[in-house]
Amino acid sequence: MKIISIDKGFYAIILGLFLWCPARANTVLASTGTYFFQQQVHGTVTDASGPLPGVIIAVKGKNIAVNSDTNGNYTIAASAGDTLIFSFIGFKRVEKTVSSGAINVVMEPESSGLEEVVINTGYYTVKDKQRTGSISRITSKDIGDQPVTNVLATMQGRMAGVDIIQDGGSPGGSFQIKIRGINSLRRDGNQPLYVIDGVPYSSETIGSPDTSTSTASFTSPLNSINPSDIESIEVLKDADATSIYGSRGANGVVLITTKKGKIGKTSVNVLASTAIGKVTKMIDLMQTPEYLEMRRQAFANDGIDTYPDFAYDINGTWDQNRNTDWQKELIGGTAHITSAQLSLSGGSENTQYLLSGTYRSETTVTPGDFRYDKGAAHFNMNHRSQDNKFRLAVTANYTSQDNNLPSTDLTAISRKLAPNAPKLYNEDGSLNWEDGTFENPLAALESKASIKTNDLLANTLMSYELFRDFEVKLNLGFTDLSNNEERIMPSTMYNPAYGIGSSESLLLTNLTSRKSWIAEPQLHWKKDMAGGVLDVLAGATAQQQQSKRLYQIGYGFSSNSLIYDLASAGAVFTTANDEAVYRYQAFFGRLNYNWQDRYIINLTGRRDGSSRFGPGKQFASFGAVGMAWLFSNEAFLNGSKVLSFGKLRASYGTTGNDQIGDYQFLNSYASSGIAYQGVIGLTPQRLYNPDFSWEVNKKLEMGLEMGFLKNRVSLSVAHYRNRSSNQLVGIPLPGTTGFASVNANLAATVQNTGFEFTLGTTNVETKDFNWTSSLNLTIARNKLIEFPGLESSPYANTYIIGQSLNIARLYHYTGLNEQTGVYQVQDFDGDGAITAANDKQVIADLTPKFFGGFQNQLSYKNWKLDFLFQFTKQKNYDYIPSSAAGLPYNQPSGQVFWQQSGDKGPQQITTTGANSAAVAGYYQYAASDAVIVDGSYIRLKNIALSYNLPSEALGGIRCRLFFQGQNLLTFTPYEGGDPEFKYAGYLPPLKIYSLGAQLTF
Amino acid sequence: MKTNYLISTNRTARIAGTVSLTLWILIAGITLVSCDDFVQVDPPNSQLTGDVVFDDKTTANAVIVGIYGKMRDSGLMTGQIGGISCSLGLYADELDFYQDIGANNFYTNSLYAEATPVRDLWNSSYNIIYAANAVAEGIPKSALASGDKDHFLGEALFIRALMHFYLVNLYGDIPYVTGTDYLANSRVSKLPTAEVYQSIINDLNQAHELLPQEDFSWERVRPLKATATALLARVYLYNGRWGEAADSASAIINDPSYVLENDPDMAFLKENPGTIWQFSPAAEGNNTNEGNLFIFNQGPPPVVALKESFVNAFETGDLRRQHWIREITDGSSVWYHPFKYRMRAVVGSSTEYSIVLRLGEQYLIRAEARARQGDLIGAKEDLDIIRARAGLAGTTAISQQDVLTAILKERQWELFTEFGHRFMDLRRFGMLDAVLSLTKPGWDTNDRLWPLPGQELLANPNLNPQNPGY
Repeated sequence: MKIISIDKGFYAIILGLFLWCPARANTVLASTGTYFFQQQVHGTVTDASGPLPGVIIAVKGKNIAVNSDTNGNYTIAASAGDTLIFSFIGFKRVEKTVSSGAINVVMEPESSGLEEVVINTGYYTVKDKQRTGSISRITSKDIGDQPVTNVLATMQGRMAGVDIIQDGGSPGGSFQIKIRGINSLRRDGNQPLYVIDGVPYSSETIGSPDTSTSTASFTSPLNSINPSDIESIEVLKDADATSIYGSRGANGVVLITTKKGKIGKTSVNVLASTAIGKVTKMIDLMQTPEYLEMRRQAFANDGIDTYPDFAYDINGTWDQNRNTDWQKELIGGTAHITSAQLSLSGGSENTQYLLSGTYRSETTVTPGDFRYDKGAAHFNMNHRSQDNKFRLAVTANYTSQDNNLPSTDLTAISRKLAPNAPKLYNEDGSLNWEDGTFENPLAALESKASIKTNDLLANTLMSYELFRDFEVKLNLGFTDLSNNEERIMPSTMYNPAYGIGSSESLLLTNLTSRKSWIAEPQLHWKKDMAGGVLDVLAGATAQQQQSKRLYQIGYGFSSNSLIYDLASAGAVFTTANDEAVYRYQAFFGRLNYNWQDRYIINLTGRRDGSSRFGPGKQFASFGAVGMAWLFSNEAFLNGSKVLSFGKLRASYGTTGNDQIGDYQFLNSYASSGIAYQGVIGLTPQRLYNPDFSWEVNKKLEMGLEMGFLKNRVSLSVAHYRNRSSNQLVGIPLPGTTGFASVNANLAATVQNTGFEFTLGTTNVETKDFNWTSSLNLTIARNKLIEFPGLESSPYANTYIIGQSLNIARLYHYTGLNEQTGVYQVQDFDGDGAITAANDKQVIADLTPKFFGGFQNQLSYKNWKLDFLFQFTKQKNYDYIPSSAAGLPYNQPSGQVFWQQSGDKGPQQITTTGANSAAVAGYYQYAASDAVIVDGSYIRLKNIALSYNLPSEALGGIRCRLFFQGQNLLTFTPYEGGDPEFKYAGYLPPLKIYSLGAQLTF
Repeated sequence: MKTNYLISTNRTARIAGTVSLTLWILIAGITLVSCDDFVQVDPPNSQLTGDVVFDDKTTANAVIVGIYGKMRDSGLMTGQIGGISCSLGLYADELDFYQDIGANNFYTNSLYAEATPVRDLWNSSYNIIYAANAVAEGIPKSALASGDKDHFLGEALFIRALMHFYLVNLYGDIPYVTGTDYLANSRVSKLPTAEVYQSIINDLNQAHELLPQEDFSWERVRPLKATATALLARVYLYNGRWGEAADSASAIINDPSYVLENDPDMAFLKENPGTIWQFSPAAEGNNTNEGNLFIFNQGPPPVVALKESFVNAFETGDLRRQHWIREITDGSSVWYHPFKYRMRAVVGSSTEYSIVLRLGEQYLIRAEARARQGDLIGAKEDLDIIRARAGLAGTTAISQQDVLTAILKERQWELFTEFGHRFMDLRRFGMLDAVLSLTKPGWDTNDRLWPLPGQELLANPNLNPQNPGY
């Protein structure tokens, strides 16, 4: 009850402010009548390159302001002796005293480096110099140089503390992102909050595992964001930056700002490129002679003299002289990527617009006609009133994706298929089943998956300056996503020997829709106070998200040509028809005090309510304090020749995590999907615990930022310690309760600590040649500090107290038994049996030791070269063959097998499967420390070379030609294929070569 | 002119500002009004909360059939590979395992406390018990008509008794769970087997009071009074309460609704009048999980097959050997599979349902109960009814011991691969070690009970001690 009354009180205050504001506004507006007897001052504002439109010209101390027009001209009412202030983002502020005659001003750009970069922190912006929080940022300059479709791909290797791994090379595949490590014990509770133009964007999966394509994880909605429409991406990391996002800030916040219209005459920008993609690295596998030798040896080892009927590879059924490189055949193709973008932008000093359309089409490296099409439209309009008091920004993004892909990834089969397996196609182009002896891998491609996703994201931001430095703002947002997945499993995907007809063909459909709206009223107020500046922000959020899902299976068709028609199915089962509503409301505030640009204190807080929690547990408060000391502005350092900038900052605060899904607190019954007597049953969903609440993440950070030699060298070092506690997990219960667990908060604590370094240097800065470098490095550790009752929990074999969450428990490989030739692992408990629970005692930490990126930008006259090396020091699983050697599956080449007593291998005795000790040995070996190898790599993640044609040659049209490459070079000791993977057996990231041209006129 | 322009834009700004403010106040007002309620959402359309689900007959019924659906398709009672029809068949001397040589802990009698099926069968059983208890708690508070209340409550008690019956037979001393409070249920203690049986008997007696006499399902797919009585007969028999066992069995045998089907080819059809309770299939056209699991058309068998020693144990001329077992040969080897259920695939309309309780067992219950009480004539009468149906002559047994031995054999032939009768009968007769050590190299006397799940003991120490030998 008390909580509610506080909220009401808060509202009353805000409401009071609203009621008071209009009255105040009228008096302010009325006072503007005094300028009647003033003179009209006019002039032109320019910069080095010509007239500068959009410059704000204001009379100091009065509420009069105008903008310069497209020719840089302005007229303003002012009295002699007044001071005019000329300001424009990116330029130094100029003050001029009004006398007689025109006042012409030449604006000078702000100096480079840390100085005046303005950072978006979501609810407010801050000059980078004055920032108290930890924020990483990339801009369209970096994004535009990368031939990728996913927004997370553009961030990879460019931000300290942000670890991104690509799931696979299939078009439309998703990425794993970890901002400062894993915080939650729930595997799916570690997603950051995505906010696009002020609108939270749910990253929860929209696909179903059955209907998604061959990607390793489910369809991610993040594919709907078009990288070429992005102006900047800011990642908020510490408490100071994320506490204002309260319950959703624990895993960091990714702020995406799309491009805006620019003042000036209408400019048309056309960009087209074409690219090819190939698999980066194949595994060196056996060819037919080596393979057949292995097989013959295996039969001999098992004492089998006559090859059985089903051993087609070796008994003469298949041609033993045939040799196919299946990796080349099945995943060795070339993906073709074409993309084109047309954008239109321009506007007056008051109103600017941007309209752009993008189309991209991508094929795959697998055989067959598969493609991924993506179209995107982006619109932005900004308006501000003549007096600069009212501002309006409208942004809309619409993306449509059509992803037609095989529903099976052929990578795994390409590595295990016998090299003398028969040809794929018959002479007539049909699939070859070799008289029923060959499970043709291309048959899997008969099962096609199609994903159609449409996504609209619209946002309106209105603000009005009621009186000087007091602004009210309203942010309204709307998202509408629909995802239609279909997967067919026609009878033609099966060997015709089974005699299966279209009556057993399947159609699986999954339709997801997700709509959300948000409204966020805010107040911004700025006040000079006690020699410093006080900045106040107060706001409220109301948000609703509604998700629906319909999953149906159609079974049995009279003909396979009707397979896409659910109505033609003999039987239709509705497996899921869910609807979920998520509501969220919050009040947030910020108090920032900057004393003479030397001491800055930043207080942020948020009170959150979420429908994901039960009555009485819906509200919680989060807050942070951040401080900065700009010691370079102290008298004793002022004028230092070496140190041009110095800042020490620290922050501490709390954030939360509400990623637990909807309705988990309810005692509810849902359809079991199982019929009895023709009635679909209802089944209890869970044990009812209405009392669980938020996970809390306490973040501590200290940072030092320095600039040397007029900021030609800048260095930033940060140390953080995040502790995530009150872990919301399924608390294990005895089975006698009817369920394995109940959602509750556990006194388990996960700690992430780390150092982040960013070094930026301007190596050469001359008229024709410029060279800048930047290096980022992250050293991070993850540790489970406490977990009461771990031994009796379902996590007992997954986690260990004092270790990282990202560990593998393994057997210890002790070598080959020279007598039996079988792999051996250590029997730790000495009970004579190898059991997973007792003998997996070796712990391998798969968390990267460190990772980062090294970027260089060089420009010489009209040439520009930009490249990024990404690196990771880590352990990873080696390629593990799909079976023990000797079985009818291919193996890495060059293995030396044990053959007789005394042999040292190193590989164990081959077997056809009859030697059960060897089969067990293979499984134990595959789960032992022997397969954990150095998975570190340095990769030329991105390279972009561009040339600007002299614009005079084209009559004012600017033309840029470019070459871009992705993943072109990789240095790694890893031999099991591509070292960048999260899930084994999926298509690795591709290397991409892209050529294109950009015209601007 | 410039001045006017400025004024006019200021007016625009003022209008815009007023619009903005109005919007502001509107939003703030809406937010304020709905402040506390805003983050309280209604349950989703696809879910019902526990307090309303029992107020409507349709949804209350859906909860009950949800339980039967679960029993049919998962856990102990399913005819699929994880259920006891298969796993106790492997554990005892009915079935051989062909998949993944040696990988089946039931077949090799090598269960251990951490084994997944040990835990899964325990957990799924208590999950069903939870669902039944939720019904038992929710129904009395509901707004249903009293007749409906009785029927649903009776079914819930019947289900609870049935699940505990199998649990006590597999795991020995177990807790008897009668509520849904997870705090209480996570600390429950084991009860001695006799007390568990007393609770089962109490529940079945109460269920008998509440359940309907008449079969509203028309297909014997919902428990009736007779269903409770039939299970009660078995429970009394297991507890040595011979008189009550015989009386309960008599009540069924004398009920004209239940008649032995004498044609062995029709004994497992869904309409056969000897069925007391059977599971309705998941969809029209589906047949039994058992048929799907056991039947194979070419050797070697894909999963399981009947042991040759079991097949050879039949008396010559036994129609069940000929009609309920099918031989498959590849020319050199012969394999056998249970053929009580004949249908493997989905067809146009279902012909077989999975039968849980049937009249044949009741005759054998009464035969045994009579024999134990010394009524050897009555016992042989009942025994011979079953033998005659199998095409066999009357029993030659004379002494009480011989009659009992004959009944045990008859049960082996009559009830094979049906819900683990063989294993439980051998234990009741004290013959587990004597019989199973002959055909099962991994057999140990402690194997008469399964281990309690290891994780369960860690999570609830009140369940200690572990069963002997684990």
